[in-house]
Amino acid sequence: MPREIITLQLGQCGNQIGMEFWKQLCAEHGISPEGILEDFATEGTDRKDVFFYQADDEHYIPRSVLIDLEPRVINSIMTSAYANLYNPENIYMSKDGGGAGNNWASGFTQGEGVYEEVFDIIDREADGSDSLEGFVVCHSIAGGTGSGMGSYILEKLNDRFPKKLIQTYSVFPNQDEISDVVVQPYNSLLTLKRLTQNADCVVVLDNTALHRIAAERLHIDTPTFAQINHLVSTVMATSTTTLRYPGYMNNDLIGLIASLIPTPRLHFLMTGYTPLTTDTQVASIRKTTVLDVMRRLLQPKNMMVSTPVHRQANHCYIAILNIIQGEVDPTQVHKSLQRIRERKLAQFIPWGPASIQVALSRKSPYVQTAHRVSGLMLANHTSISDLFERCVRQYDKLRKREAFLDQFKRTPIFKDNLDEFDDSREVLQQLIDEYHAATKSDYITWGTQQVLRRRIYIDVKDVLACGASWDEKLPE
Amino acid sequence: MVEHARGLYDKKEAFSSYKLQHALSPYYKVALTTLGSSIYSLTETDEFEIAEKIKRKFVRQKRDKDAAVFSELHRILQGQKLLRNRWAILYLLHRLSGESTSKQKGGTSSTFFHSLSSHLVSTPFVSQHSGQLTTDGSAKIHSVTGSSTASSGISSIRSSFHSNDPSPVPQSVPPSYLKTPAGAQLLRGGQVLPSTGERVLHLLGRNQTDTTLMLRSDRTISTTSTSYRMSRKPGSSDELSEAVILRELVYVFRGIEGKYIKYDVTKEGYRIDAKAGIPRALRKAVAKLAECGWMYNQIWKYADSRSTDRAFGLVGQSFCDALHQELTEYYRLMSVLEAQLKQNDDEVLSDHGSELTVRRLAVWMCGPHIRLKTMAALVDVCQGKKGGALATAIHSYLQHGDPTVRSLIRHMLALVAQPIFSTIITWQYHGELEDTYHEFFVASDPTVKNERLWHEKYTLRKSMIPSFISLEQAKKILLTGKSVNFLRQVCHDRTSIRSRDIIRQTETNQVESIFSQDVNGIFQKMIDAVYKETSRHLLDILHTKYKFVDHLKAMRRYLLLGQGDFIRYLMDLLEDDLAKPPQMLFLHNLTSILETAIRGTNAQYDDIDILRRLDVRLLEVSPGDIGWDVFSLDYHVDGPVQTVFTPESMIIYLRVFNFLWRAKRMEYILAGIWKSQMSNARILKSMPELSVVLHHCHMLASEMVHFVQQVQYYINFEVLECSWDELLNKMNDAEDLDCVIAAHQVFLDTISTRCLLDKQSQGKWGVTETEERKEERRRKDFRHTMLSATKAQLSVLASSYQEIWPPSSSYAINLEQRHKNFNFRLDFNEQYNARDPKLRRSRVPHKTKRRDREEKMKQRSDE
Repeated sequence: MPREIITLQLGQCGNQIGMEFWKQLCAEHGISPEGILEDFATEGTDRKDVFFYQADDEHYIPRSVLIDLEPRVINSIMTSAYANLYNPENIYMSKDGGGAGNNWASGFTQGEGVYEEVFDIIDREADGSDSLEGFVVCHSIAGGTGSGMGSYILEKLNDRFPKKLIQTYSVFPNQDEISDVVVQPYNSLLTLKRLTQNADCVVVLDNTALHRIAAERLHIDTPTFAQINHLVSTVMATSTTTLRYPGYMNNDLIGLIASLIPTPRLHFLMTGYTPLTTDTQVASIRKTTVLDVMRRLLQPKNMMVSTPVHRQANHCYIAILNIIQGEVDPTQVHKSLQRIRERKLAQFIPWGPASIQVALSRKSPYVQTAHRVSGLMLANHTSISDLFERCVRQYDKLRKREAFLDQFKRTPIFKDNLDEFDDSREVLQQLIDEYHAATKSDYITWGTQQVLRRRIYIDVKDVLACGASWDEKLPE
Repeated sequence: MVEHARGLYDKKEAFSSYKLQHALSPYYKVALTTLGSSIYSLTETDEFEIAEKIKRKFVRQKRDKDAAVFSELHRILQGQKLLRNRWAILYLLHRLSGESTSKQKGGTSSTFFHSLSSHLVSTPFVSQHSGQLTTDGSAKIHSVTGSSTASSGISSIRSSFHSNDPSPVPQSVPPSYLKTPAGAQLLRGGQVLPSTGERVLHLLGRNQTDTTLMLRSDRTISTTSTSYRMSRKPGSSDELSEAVILRELVYVFRGIEGKYIKYDVTKEGYRIDAKAGIPRALRKAVAKLAECGWMYNQIWKYADSRSTDRAFGLVGQSFCDALHQELTEYYRLMSVLEAQLKQNDDEVLSDHGSELTVRRLAVWMCGPHIRLKTMAALVDVCQGKKGGALATAIHSYLQHGDPTVRSLIRHMLALVAQPIFSTIITWQYHGELEDTYHEFFVASDPTVKNERLWHEKYTLRKSMIPSFISLEQAKKILLTGKSVNFLRQVCHDRTSIRSRDIIRQTETNQVESIFSQDVNGIFQKMIDAVYKETSRHLLDILHTKYKFVDHLKAMRRYLLLGQGDFIRYLMDLLEDDLAKPPQMLFLHNLTSILETAIRGTNAQYDDIDILRRLDVRLLEVSPGDIGWDVFSLDYHVDGPVQTVFTPESMIIYLRVFNFLWRAKRMEYILAGIWKSQMSNARILKSMPELSVVLHHCHMLASEMVHFVQQVQYYINFEVLECSWDELLNKMNDAEDLDCVIAAHQVFLDTISTRCLLDKQSQGKWGVTETEERKEERRRKDFRHTMLSATKAQLSVLASSYQEIWPPSSSYAINLEQRHKNFNFRLDFNEQYNARDPKLRRSRVPHKTKRRDREEKMKQRSDE
């Protein structure tokens, strides 16, 4: 059972979207809420062992770890129909149940406290797999547990499993409505630093865009969490479809994301999905061909990230991967790509080769959809930096007023100073700069001018001075 | 008409009933002969004279009472207004009574006819109505459809063919066959006579144009009472009598030299002795008649020499048989002539001047002459030919303008095509090829083994395809029989093809349909139907019993890397082994790894039979190879499926596998590089100085990833998916195994061409399609400009980076062991130190330096 993926669900949001994700996977693989393979699904050629393992009694059990600092969401899962699906040993709930109080620092600190227990679970799960491919982390960046504890776990996962991939599905806060979490900009900033430095791939799920899509595309005025989470789970399930239905290509997570991420830091991916329907909505009559799906995926309104349209910024695609499901004639793919290039529907980076990659994937035979063809786009686009800029701006506003810093200062990290904030801001600013640089053709030599030969010399001198007696051998 | 006949019959019965009781048939035949021949020989039609003759006869025989009855009957007959040719009837009756007497006396003249009638006729004549007689489904097809004018044979005897059919078959006779209506009426009346069930004997089944002439000539032989005036005519002493010439001619007709007509070897023909006293007027006629002898000789020689030669083949034998049949008829004619001559000599009849003369003979021999000529031409053109070629030669004469000739040819062709037709039938239905003499257009090579049966065992002998069978039909026939053999011998399938048997039962097996395809499409329909059913059955067997599609899918999954998770896992598992030199590889180790890979992935759900065939194969080792270069998956095929997956196509599969495997390996390596870059970036983030170099590594790696990914997408969509789609479509539409094989071949060709594995694209990477060329150019550009520029840049950077560090080996050795792992991690793709010779030379110290520094940095950052 090679290339297994362990899913970590953190916090309220992470557990909610995680649950939806497992629901979707179970439906697609024909696994009942109890984890038993349905009779109609025994003949399938799908690959279940990437995300599930089989217990001794043939039950399929998700390779999933549920972590929360408050019991509410996990309790609701444990009382739902899917209660028996999960391995109860894989659930970690904080005993006091106090939660992180929407405070990143609190979550981070509590994370340190429960490190042993949580990593016991993760280690056991990792040992149970033959060749672990990596981890998928579901969380939000704005709250306390998902962001704070998530950040801690990301760091520790890096230490613990340096060769394993870490992919996150990170929910970004809704910018359109005033959040009750006042420290949201602090939380986001601090989490983004870890996402930049400790994750290999971040799939950005922007609540702003999700709500907009729900309102505009699905015509739901006040979308519920369940509806939004359904959107998210669709994206998550589709993005893993090539792993679950093996074909010639994209059979592992690394192959999927390696071509999307040219340099280590530019690993924030946007998603787009079409056609979007919810259960309540009757399928609209529209033509779904490959070209149609690919063209619609390039429209900003279908993107699940809300970025303002800057004309002057010259934002462009670094890479695109379209996962197209359904009855697709493979000969259409080439034609569609040609059409898109002719019409210049997508603007690509000027500094290197880039293209729209298309992965055709089978659709689950057990889930009926109204559309013949559906598509998910995973795109690495430089305009994602707008999201970070917004975050930095909000942080700056808050920081200038020194607002709400008290609760942070009570935690060990910020006890002495607020350097962590400054450090995070700098990391994020560097990320923003790099994204901007990536829109220009000289990105290929990016950073050269900043480094001076002399500086290397000095550093080397320092290094050697600390070490052996090599000074005399150094040229001056 | 029937009434008249009945009336006549009654009358006849009145005075010869006692004879009719016992031996009606000979008389009846004689009656008809007489009717058909000698009516016009009477110079005058004196009814009274005939009546008187009959009366006198009765008186002579002391049957006065009968004479009285006859005169009474004659009186009544005269009262009948309907009967106009009363004299003729009377004459007939008179002659009949004469015959009977002569026969009683032991006369011989009629035995000839008698014996004739009991023979099977050379040209079996079956009217269109009797066609149903032959539909008894027997494989031996003897019947020939023909129009009423299509009979042949020198004596032109028509007969209803099947004597086992008790009811007389109504036949249509051309109304003007006999000029005398009464005669015609009589004839027809005779035919419908019940209870006889006798063969109806006709002289001269000619077409109507000939009728008059031939009637005249026929009269001369058949009339038993012809006078013998000519021979007794006083002539000049040097002039030969006509009787002598006639005798000479009759001999010459049989190819025997006479006294005056000699065979001229130099001129190849019979020449009349110049000295012989033959009137000039006759000379020409005699010379022309003598031609018959020469032609007879030719035909006889051909037929005689070939008929004993078994190697001449069935078609040749049939041809000889057909010739013999015709010659038999010719012999009959000869015997008739001889009999006639004898009568000329023996009998002195002064009644009617209808004895044999040269002129009469000339006219009379006209028809046989044409026949002989045609046959001689056939014999000439068929020299040295056999089998289908012979049939072709004969068929070319079928379009002859003369209907007489055409019908003769048609008849002969029917006989000649008979073996071909039955061979086709047995070949198509049973797959048996009884072709000892290599005359059928399907050739079989018994040395070919079952594995190659489909491809090599059976071939078309193009020269033996009769011209009436098109190449396309021949191919279909070949294919059908081949399919049957394939089913029997390779698929071991003995089940009968039910739907095909139904066709076989319903199909009319008429040999003539084979060469009259422009008129009826029965043959074509039969071929098509049998072909379709057989091929469908074969494909069914292939799909159901031998799981052809499953094998095809297995090929795609394993040899064309379609089962991605399996391939991926296999690479994971093989990683360590294949890095070794090929000598270190052990097949059993690899096989067990393969087994593990199968067990660990979705391949385990595949059919056990298919997994059993999957195997590891090590290719030939060239110097410098490592395990990766020689490893290959293999898939064993056997049985009927091997016909599609030939060893040649398996080689293409393996070649494609090799290419795909290498491409996959590159993807695999690059994914590994990418992964280590990600983790290295994390580890080295505390060293911003490295970032420039790392950034360039990332750029380079990302370009490589992009290149390999694009190659992979190209292979996936433009090569595999599209060709596969096409293949499946073609497979669904395939009518026979050849279509499947062709589709599969196209599939392989497309793949190997598009994977740039064919000869054309080797070395120069050029592909025919401009688009691909453009894509290729783009890639070339990428490789030459972008990549090399980047590489150059990087090496410059790397070397300048290296310059900073003076080489020192002693320190390096200390750190070598300690930080081996870190070394590996840092030196993830060996991009910038493997290229420069200077760096390679001084690699170890450089690296250790770097490692040292990084180690320190790490420690510091950890602090």
